[in-house]
Amino acid sequence: MADHKQDSGSGIPYPIKIVIGIVFIALGYFLSKTEIKIAIIEYNPGITVAMIGVLLIMFPLVQIFFTKPLGDAIRERNANLERTFTEAEQLRADMTTLRADYERRLAETEASAREQIQNQIKEAQNLRQSLMTEAADKADELVKKAQQEIEAERDRLINDIRVHVVDLTLAATEKMIGANMDSDKNRKLVADFIQDLEVAK
Amino acid sequence: MTDSRIGRRYAQALFTTALKYDVVNSVEDDLNGISSLLENDPEFKHFLIAPYTSRDEKAKILDRLFSDRITALTMQVLRIMLEKGREGDIPSVREEFIKLRRTQEGVVFATVTSAEMLDNDQKKQIVEKLAKVLSKKIEADFKIEPNLLGGVKVAYGNYVLDGTVRGALSKLRDKLRHDLLKQS
Repeated sequence: MADHKQDSGSGIPYPIKIVIGIVFIALGYFLSKTEIKIAIIEYNPGITVAMIGVLLIMFPLVQIFFTKPLGDAIRERNANLERTFTEAEQLRADMTTLRADYERRLAETEASAREQIQNQIKEAQNLRQSLMTEAADKADELVKKAQQEIEAERDRLINDIRVHVVDLTLAATEKMIGANMDSDKNRKLVADFIQDLEVAK
Repeated sequence: MTDSRIGRRYAQALFTTALKYDVVNSVEDDLNGISSLLENDPEFKHFLIAPYTSRDEKAKILDRLFSDRITALTMQVLRIMLEKGREGDIPSVREEFIKLRRTQEGVVFATVTSAEMLDNDQKKQIVEKLAKVLSKKIEADFKIEPNLLGGVKVAYGNYVLDGTVRGALSKLRDKLRHDLLKQS
């Protein structure tokens, strides 16, 4: 930017302007010795020329010491604003990205959590089913075992009763035989024994 | 307390010697008599076994009691047993001696048990029948057990021939129980 370097837009560099200004001041000083009277107005061309010279000097100075820093400050401020806006835009874009990422991750997390919950529910259902089946099997087994034990106990009792009946019958038979046994019958038994005697060798 | 192993040793030695001098039956009779005396006369048994009676005293009394009634061999064995303090083993020596004699002669010993006393004819029939079927000489001991109810039971060696009512009832009980077990 050329105007930032030397002048305010006239195309003439500041040192030349200052030199021209000084020349005009000097010229004004020399011309101030002559006064021109136009009507009732006293006009001193020297002062006018000197003022032009002063203006020529003052404009660059104003430009150098005020306008230029002010422009620079404004440009810097604008650049800062632009940078700030850019950063803000960047931050916004980052935020948008982060938000999208966050939303994506949130969705993923939700999906994962939902999947895990579903899996847990499924697992719990399977476990419940398994436990119920196991409990039912155990109950069946217990019932079967109890039935077997009942049957075994019943058979044992029936058998005990039969044995008891046998013992009672034989005891009664023994008493009857004992009561009816006499010497003749005994002799007959001995004779039969002798008759049928077969010896184990 | 008698020891059958000691009795067997004494009996073996006594039997061998008795066999050598052909006095087996006499010695057996001697032993039977002494054992019978020990069984039936508690005073004599007490005297013979008592530890406070000296052996010399016992020997003298036994000499006086038996020297002219039993064979010299039996008397000699009695003296030896007294010297060794084995007078309590006399019944055991007798039992082992009889076993050796039966083995030597091929005699089968049978115990015949009946509910009532058998008459001599029945005893004879049983012994003869056993001798016939075993083809051996039989010696039998007859016992009475009223709880057999009726019939007779013969035991010899490791065998028992049971013809008693009690035995028949036991067999019937076993068979019925066996059938019941089979049913269940």
